Parts: sequence; C-alpha cells; structure tokens
Amino acid sequence: MNIKLNAPVSTAIAIGVGLIVLAGYFIPSITNIRFALLRTGLVLAAVALLVGIINLLTVHFKKMGADNENSGYSLILVIALLLTLVIGIIDMVQSYLLGQPNFQMTNWIFTYIQLPIETSLLAVTAVSLTYAAASILRKRMDLFSITFFFVILLVLLGSFSIPPATLPFLHVIRDWIVRVPALGGARGLLLGIALGTITTGIRILMGTDRPYGG
Amino acid sequence: MSATGFTGIVVIVLFLGLMIFFSIINQEPKIKNIRSIPAYNKINQEINVAVEDGTQLHISLGRGGIIGPESASALAGLSILKQVIEKSSVCDYPPVASTGNAIISILAQDTIQGTSKAISVADKGRNPSGELVGVTPFSYAAGTLTTIRDNNVSANIYTGWFGSEIIWLTTAGERQSTPTIAGTAQLPAQAVIYASASNPLIGEELFAGGAYLGAGKIHLASISAQDIFRWIITFIILGSVLLKFLGIDTFINNILAGSM
Repeated sequence: MNIKLNAPVSTAIAIGVGLIVLAGYFIPSITNIRFALLRTGLVLAAVALLVGIINLLTVHFKKMGADNENSGYSLILVIALLLTLVIGIIDMVQSYLLGQPNFQMTNWIFTYIQLPIETSLLAVTAVSLTYAAASILRKRMDLFSITFFFVILLVLLGSFSIPPATLPFLHVIRDWIVRVPALGGARGLLLGIALGTITTGIRILMGTDRPYGG
Repeated sequence: MSATGFTGIVVIVLFLGLMIFFSIINQEPKIKNIRSIPAYNKINQEINVAVEDGTQLHISLGRGGIIGPESASALAGLSILKQVIEKSSVCDYPPVASTGNAIISILAQDTIQGTSKAISVADKGRNPSGELVGVTPFSYAAGTLTTIRDNNVSANIYTGWFGSEIIWLTTAGERQSTPTIAGTAQLPAQAVIYASASNPLIGEELFAGGAYLGAGKIHLASISAQDIFRWIITFIILGSVLLKFLGIDTFINNILAGSM
C-alpha cells in the first residue's frame, strides 16, 4: 500500500503539531496535549529506527555486491547485525515465553563486545584530540589559533597534580580561565546558538523550511 | 501563564515580526551585504570543484534527532543539504548524506529525493543516497569513515549534532587531504572542530547556512532579525553591568521588595 500525503497536507499537519507543541511550553492548560504529541513522536522515532536499520542493511548489501574495497567491512556489519538480531529474538522468546532470566545473551554482547570496543575507541579519541590540539598551529597560524593553543596549554598545566605543574599560580590561572573568559565565551556562543535555534524553528513553523516532503 | 512563558511568547512573536518585516523591505536581498564566512565560501567553491572534477560532496548530519535540544542543528544541517543538492544539480555524482539518527536519515532521504525531483534531476539515473551509518556515537563515526575514505569524495561537510567523536571524522578528512567544513551547536564539539577542521563554523554560523547558500530572502531576513536581537542582548548586558556598577540594582531591588 502506498500512502502519499500531498505537500500542503503534510505541511499543514507539521505546522499545526509544531505550533501546539510550542504553545504547550507557554500555556499550562495544553501541556497534556504537548506531552501526548511528543509521546507519539517517540513512538514514530522507534518505527523510524526500524526503517533506518532496513536502510542500513540495504546500503551495505549493495556495497557488498559492488566492486568496493570496503565490501569486507560491509559483510562484517551485516553478519554482526543479523547475528545480534537473531540472538535478541531468542532472548526475547526465552524471557517472555519461557520465563528465563532476562536478556542474558544480549547483555553479554553489550558487556563483553560493545562496551570494550566503545571504551577503546574513547581512548583513541583522547589521543586524536591531543594530536589535533598540537597540530592546530600547523593548520592555521593566526591570532585566534595561537590563543587557543596557549590557553589549552595553560589549562592542562594548571590541571596537573604532579610536580612541577603543581605551582599554585598555574592553578590560579587555570581557575581564572575556566571561570571568566571560558564561561563568558561559552555563554556568548550559547546566546548565538539560541538565536539561531529560534530562527530555524520559526522558519520550520512558517513552512519556508520543509525537511519533510522535499 | 508564568512570566517566563510570557517572555518566551513575546520573543518568538518579535522574531517572527522582524523576519517578516525584513523579508518585505528587502525584496531583492543580496548575499554580499552580509559578512563573509570562510566556511560557506569554501562550500560554494567545493561545489564548483565537484562539478568540474566529476566528484561528489559528503554531508554528514550528525546523530541528533528532532525531539530535544539537538533538533535545531539537525534541521539546519538538512537545510544546508538541500542547498548543496540544488547547487550541485549539474554534478555527475549527487552528494552523499550520512547520519547517526534514524529520523534524520529518513528526512535526509526525503530532502534528497524531493529536491532532486524539484530540480528535475531525479530521472537522470542518479542514485542519491542518505544512509544511517550507526546509532551510537562511535558506531556512527566508524561507519562514516568508509564514506570519507571514498576516493570520489572531494569535500566533507559536517553540520548537525556531534560530540567529541567528530574528531574522528575531521582528522579522517584531513588525512585524505579533502577540505573539511564542520559546525555543531554542542560546545565541547565546537572546540574540537576549531582545532581539527580546516573550515570551522563557530556558534550561530551553523544556522546561517541557508542565507549564505542562497536559500531565499527569509533566510537573509532571519540573519537581520538575529542581529537586532544580538544588539538588544548586548545593551541589556551592558546596562545590567552599569546598573550593578552604580549600585542602582540594589535600589531597584529595594523598591520591588517595598522596603523603601
């Protein structure tokens, strides 16, 4: 079955729902409607995840078939996804129909495969961040980059707890940087982001930006 | 209605009024009247390179959804995606989009297909794609790396909601010697982007993409509305500092408390 809403209908629904949710933030009497709409949105998000997984499988099946140097990775991804899915279904049957302990095998996968991999990737991220900070002056030698580099250096030195970086004045400088310029700069950026967020939202509510229906 | 709620409505109505006002008075707005942002100049330049070299652009929309504080960056990213597709309509290869969120992946596909159809390139046998590459921060980053390493990708544009995993994407782009244009609304990731991307978008610059890529006069009007509000906020902050410095804030507080 192919259901396709015309652009004006989908636009009207999107704008109407958007306005009600927005009004729900300011008018207490319609807060319940806002929560009901948001709950519906969460259900739709879960359905979207299923669609996204099907999309992921489709894309990687295509990559496996094509003359692609990364086809091996796609094969591993598809096998891992299908294996996890099968194990998840078996776990679900065992838990709900046979009354056995909840999702033992799925928990094992997360604890012994997913968690160690993500933790090791986090460790690599720390190294990459240090490398990026160190190489910024090679990339852009301007006043802002020099300031950025030396501020990072000062904050790092001020954070160390091993000699000789435990000098009291370094801690004072670090605290001052974190409390005054960094906090002020962060607030300035957040104000700008808030203004940008408001205009983006208003454009969506006006229907001038329509990420739905093209 | 609470005072905060009333203030919120006033701000939104004022914004709406200013945007409509500026879009009416500037019937033929010009992009050259707004300050230059190098990252958007680079996007325009890279679109031209992609057209000439027969390469494609990669746009990564982050892993933010549409429910929550990250939605605005994701929607701003979609707006940039739409403009890039329109501008690169004569490319041999359409842009490829990757996301770490299922809803944004559907919206990205919808944007690609809808925009391609609108500019009549959907029937050229092109197969534009918007793919969900992973739903956790690191699976998203790892999944996007294969697209970045594609030899046919001539530039990477990261616009959306990212965490510190963005470092993987920016450094991978730099290692491929492809220009990296990146922007996000999350502050720690902005610092990472500033250090690692060749063309960073700072703060609200992410939300100005439509105006700089020719999305229409309402985008330019929203830039003007933001400028007005920026001035108002600046005056409020400076005024508050002055009142505090002169001790008038205590005087006002006393009046409000009824102790005078």
